[in-house]
Amino acid sequence: MSVIAPASSEQVVAKKKSAFSTVTRMLRYIGMRVLTLFTTVVIGVYLTILIANMGGYVDQIIRGQIRDTITQSVANNPTMRNMDPDVRRKLIEEQIALEEKRRGLDTPVAIRNFRHLTNAIQLDLGRAINMTSDSGSKQVRLILLERLPATLLLMGTSQLFLFFSSIYIALNLSRNYGNFWDKLVIALSPTSAIPSWFYGIFLILIFAAGFKILPFGGMVSSPPPTNPFNYSMSVLQHLILPGSALVISSFFLSVYNYRTFFLIYSSEDYVDMARAKGLHAKDIERRYILRPTLPNIITNFSLLIIALWTGALFTETVFLWPGLGRTLYQAIGLYDTPIIVGSTIIYAYLLAMTVFLLDFVYAAVDPRVRVGN
Amino acid sequence: MKMKKAFNILSLLVILGLLLAACAPAATDAPVEEQPVATDAPAVTEEAAPAATEEVPSTERRGGWLDEIDFSVVSSDSAVSQLQAGAIDFYSFNLSSNTLQDIKDAGLNYTQSYGGNYGISLNPAVFEDAAVMNPFSNRKIREALNWLIDRNYINQEIYGGGSLPKLLPITTQLVEYTNLVDTARTLETKYAYDLEKARAQIATEMEAMGANLGEDGKWQIDGEPVTLIFLIRSDGDGTRQPMGDYVSNQLEEVGFTVDRQYKTSSEAFPIWLGSDASSGQWNLYTAGYLPSGLTRDERANIQQYYLPSSVQAGEPFISNVADPELQQLGDDLAQGNFANKEERDAMLARALELALEDSLFVWVVDQLVYAPYNSNVSVTYDLAAGYEVAFMGNYNLRFVDQEGGTMKVGTNDLFTQPWNTIAGSNWVWDSNIMRATSQGATGASSATAGMMGDPYTGLGWPQRFESASIEYQAGLPITNNNLGWLDVQEVDEIPVPEDAWVDWDATTQTFITAAQKFPEGTTAKTKSVVVYPADLYETVKWHDGSPISVADFVMAFAIFLDRGKPESAIYDESGALSVDAFLPSFKGWRITSTDPLTIEYYSDTYAADAELNVAPLWPGSPTGLAGENAWQVLAVSNLSEEAGELAYSSDKADANSIEQMSWVGGPSLEILKKYMDQAQAESYIPYEATLGQFLTPEEVTLRYENLAKWYGDHAHFWIGTGPYYLDQVFTTEKSLVLKNFADFPDLANRWSSFSDPKRARVILDGPGQVTAGQESIFDVTVNLGDDAYPTADIKQVKYILYGSEGNVLEVGNAEAVGEGQFQVTLSADATSQLETGSAKLEVAVVPIPVAIPAFTSFEFVVVK
Repeated sequence: MSVIAPASSEQVVAKKKSAFSTVTRMLRYIGMRVLTLFTTVVIGVYLTILIANMGGYVDQIIRGQIRDTITQSVANNPTMRNMDPDVRRKLIEEQIALEEKRRGLDTPVAIRNFRHLTNAIQLDLGRAINMTSDSGSKQVRLILLERLPATLLLMGTSQLFLFFSSIYIALNLSRNYGNFWDKLVIALSPTSAIPSWFYGIFLILIFAAGFKILPFGGMVSSPPPTNPFNYSMSVLQHLILPGSALVISSFFLSVYNYRTFFLIYSSEDYVDMARAKGLHAKDIERRYILRPTLPNIITNFSLLIIALWTGALFTETVFLWPGLGRTLYQAIGLYDTPIIVGSTIIYAYLLAMTVFLLDFVYAAVDPRVRVGN
Repeated sequence: MKMKKAFNILSLLVILGLLLAACAPAATDAPVEEQPVATDAPAVTEEAAPAATEEVPSTERRGGWLDEIDFSVVSSDSAVSQLQAGAIDFYSFNLSSNTLQDIKDAGLNYTQSYGGNYGISLNPAVFEDAAVMNPFSNRKIREALNWLIDRNYINQEIYGGGSLPKLLPITTQLVEYTNLVDTARTLETKYAYDLEKARAQIATEMEAMGANLGEDGKWQIDGEPVTLIFLIRSDGDGTRQPMGDYVSNQLEEVGFTVDRQYKTSSEAFPIWLGSDASSGQWNLYTAGYLPSGLTRDERANIQQYYLPSSVQAGEPFISNVADPELQQLGDDLAQGNFANKEERDAMLARALELALEDSLFVWVVDQLVYAPYNSNVSVTYDLAAGYEVAFMGNYNLRFVDQEGGTMKVGTNDLFTQPWNTIAGSNWVWDSNIMRATSQGATGASSATAGMMGDPYTGLGWPQRFESASIEYQAGLPITNNNLGWLDVQEVDEIPVPEDAWVDWDATTQTFITAAQKFPEGTTAKTKSVVVYPADLYETVKWHDGSPISVADFVMAFAIFLDRGKPESAIYDESGALSVDAFLPSFKGWRITSTDPLTIEYYSDTYAADAELNVAPLWPGSPTGLAGENAWQVLAVSNLSEEAGELAYSSDKADANSIEQMSWVGGPSLEILKKYMDQAQAESYIPYEATLGQFLTPEEVTLRYENLAKWYGDHAHFWIGTGPYYLDQVFTTEKSLVLKNFADFPDLANRWSSFSDPKRARVILDGPGQVTAGQESIFDVTVNLGDDAYPTADIKQVKYILYGSEGNVLEVGNAEAVGEGQFQVTLSADATSQLETGSAKLEVAVVPIPVAIPAFTSFEFVVVK
């Protein structure tokens, strides 16, 4: 009968010390990581503000636009036609001053930039300058939220389909390396150099203008069906072309990437060893190929999920899809800094959180990785 | 093997699809309706003929012709394809003239209207840096650019021949141009493309300014090349870039070095309008202006485009040292300082000559634009600005030979800004929908709501009043009664009655009378009296079922003034600017009878055409936007603004960080509903001290009940009295549904006689050989379709005789000799001025029902 010797007090202390040291190390790591990521977010957002404002040059642009708009509206106003030029000029200058004040141009650009930054960091997205939401609100939060479902639907459907189908097909191709389909995918992978909106135009020409079986654009038919089922069917019908454009534009390259990735892992020594041992092909794939590639796949998947937020700028524009990409595209064109900053800060926070969490996920799925070490 | 087969089938499908796309759908086999097509003006030879006006179809239907109109946003790039595919029936937003061929190839019909003008803006300043020469500080060099540019070439090569070459600061071939056609044609002949003439004038002036032509053929000053900075717009419809390149090539041809800077509007504006002209950041800019509708009176354009006193009130205008005569003429024309029409026309003709000598702008093209539609659709549109600004457009929109049906209409955008009629969306596509829900306005002024704008003349017709009369102060250049429905009188003085309302006291919420504001009395330049039908209150209903009442009329005016008063609970700084601009020329309005409703209006502002001085004071938008104002909707809206929860204008909304009011969607609706419930519970009467005199408790109760029911049924607050009501709104999906308003008082065919513009087709015939010194007669035949144009509908037929050099020798009027038949008699004196060789006679037919004249010319040989 063996007796388990009680742990010595040194061992207990050592264990406690070790546990304390792990917690301290983790906390220190988390603190440093959070601080680093936060600093990165602040710098990134500030740079976005500076770029969106073109270092203050946008003020000049907006001033020119305001003067042009107001003088042209006055020129077209019959009641002002007979007015004394000096009185009219005074009125015009008052209107211009009022509009400049409304647009915040009476505050120095540095102060406005700082205000944008502090508000953004606190997720106080504020009000848009020019744009309104479709329902008429100027709150950036509502403008973005209004477009979010459409973007999530389009991007989520297409990107998730792309992700899972790519992995599935890539695995198959890596098993049948060198066959016809493998060669075909390699041959077609350069087609991904063509942007999705370009495919979109072709798809519209073929299926909307040519065959007349799918709609040209928009998210739902006009007027939208009142019955929820018919509405959903109409949305699905409108989703086919933009979704296909997004999938087609990335499909072959995505499959090629994963297939190459899997092939590299398939040729590792330990996989050859497993094969030599006579393990079943499925087991080899699951245990020796997929598992070590899991951190990369999870990373890709996480980044894909947060990339949904940005939408597809040009594809949404080509298809008149009422998503965030189109909103951002319009905001850039109108120099609507709060919307640009609002969209960026949310993406930045999502990215930072994802990067932070991925460190822990890596450690969970890959025993070789230790957090904070 | 299965996979291989599948792949083969897939490949075949893809190839087949690509082939189909490449082949492009063939034009539909629908019959093509011939539309008026611009010719190569100014060398216009014959006006293309539209179809003759159809017989007015008989109907028992009230409201609009259609049961339903579905508007949605369609990209302009795919508009033609969507029409071909049957996805839409009509694309109501104008497409630029470079798409005309695609529209024709697709076998579609189209509207044709003016889409704006393009020109070259020149920097007139002497630069601060004395070492840098600005040739355009010299007026003669600016003038020479008119000969340097071949406008016909630009029209053909860049605009596909679908636009009009433009020389003058008035719209080519519109009302003012027709009015001064002899001056216009003379100047067009004088400034016809002549590269060598341009080269010679530029050389003379450049040498006088100290420049010399180097061995490389380039102008130099102090050994440095004379470089012109040309801001060329690369955005918009894309036509300004090739236009700028062409002008650059021509400038290089005569020895200038051109620095072409391609910029978007946002990049170019700060330099063009925002920089000091003398700082030398630019020399030329490809400018463009949009039309605001069929403008009949363009006398203010001289001041606007050439003078330091321009309404544009900034650079480069303030840097232009204009000729004193031009300055005087331009200011006098803008401010109406002339005794009569003849004097005005003479002043404008002289000003046009001087404007071309000044050439702060060198005009290039009046762009024509096109809105395509399927052949089974009938569209009425404004000749100047297209369908979306024509009040009659939605009234007459229909399927050919069909009553009812659902039409699908695509446009460029919807709900660009929140909808309210006080300070909401003014975008053309939004306004078009709003007009379908309301009664007419000529577009000339917000006061003209209740009149139907004539899409072909820019004048107006009475839509909802029984009679109207105008008095104007003697000496004002107001033309009498163009369309024949108005009683016009010239009087020595127009005193304003003591009880006329002239201003607003926001504290007591009552109007200020003339006796209070002008104790010593005051006068006005014009007086309008409008008498409404006796059955107005029974026949006209708001879409929520409420009969119209006097309170609607009073409320619309009260709110306009109230917003401009600091003491008001709904004071708005931006609204105050409009009121401040309005009050100095406003002299009062007075309800002299409520049954039948009779309203007088006194003003110091006037328009040259008598019809446009009628002020029905219909409860339309008081700020000139589209849409109508039921008092109960304004009452609810006022409550929400007073509470600080919503604001009519974006300025006030931004200043207070609240939402701008939208009557059709978004967070506004819940707030408005809350105040509607409150108003209903309290039987709230807005501006009670004033409106209380016009409202009964029963009307107040009925109005709020009806509005609440309307909101319950349609989930928005947009109501009008027009032929269609706004049934459903889908803001995110960017679409909406209009439905026929069966309670509309008029039959659907009321304006059907305006379905097609009565544009004239003119044929000029005469002897091929004319002997100098002998009388010669030419026949002019004016047709409307295949029939003779009624002579009573022709204002005049002008003729212009050109010599062999293209110089104008004589201008006169042809004589009517029969229905649609005129004769030009060239006297012996006239023909004696002709040199041996070729000569040309041109006629311009000016019809009354349309503002666009028809031109044709005839060349003949002159012998001694």
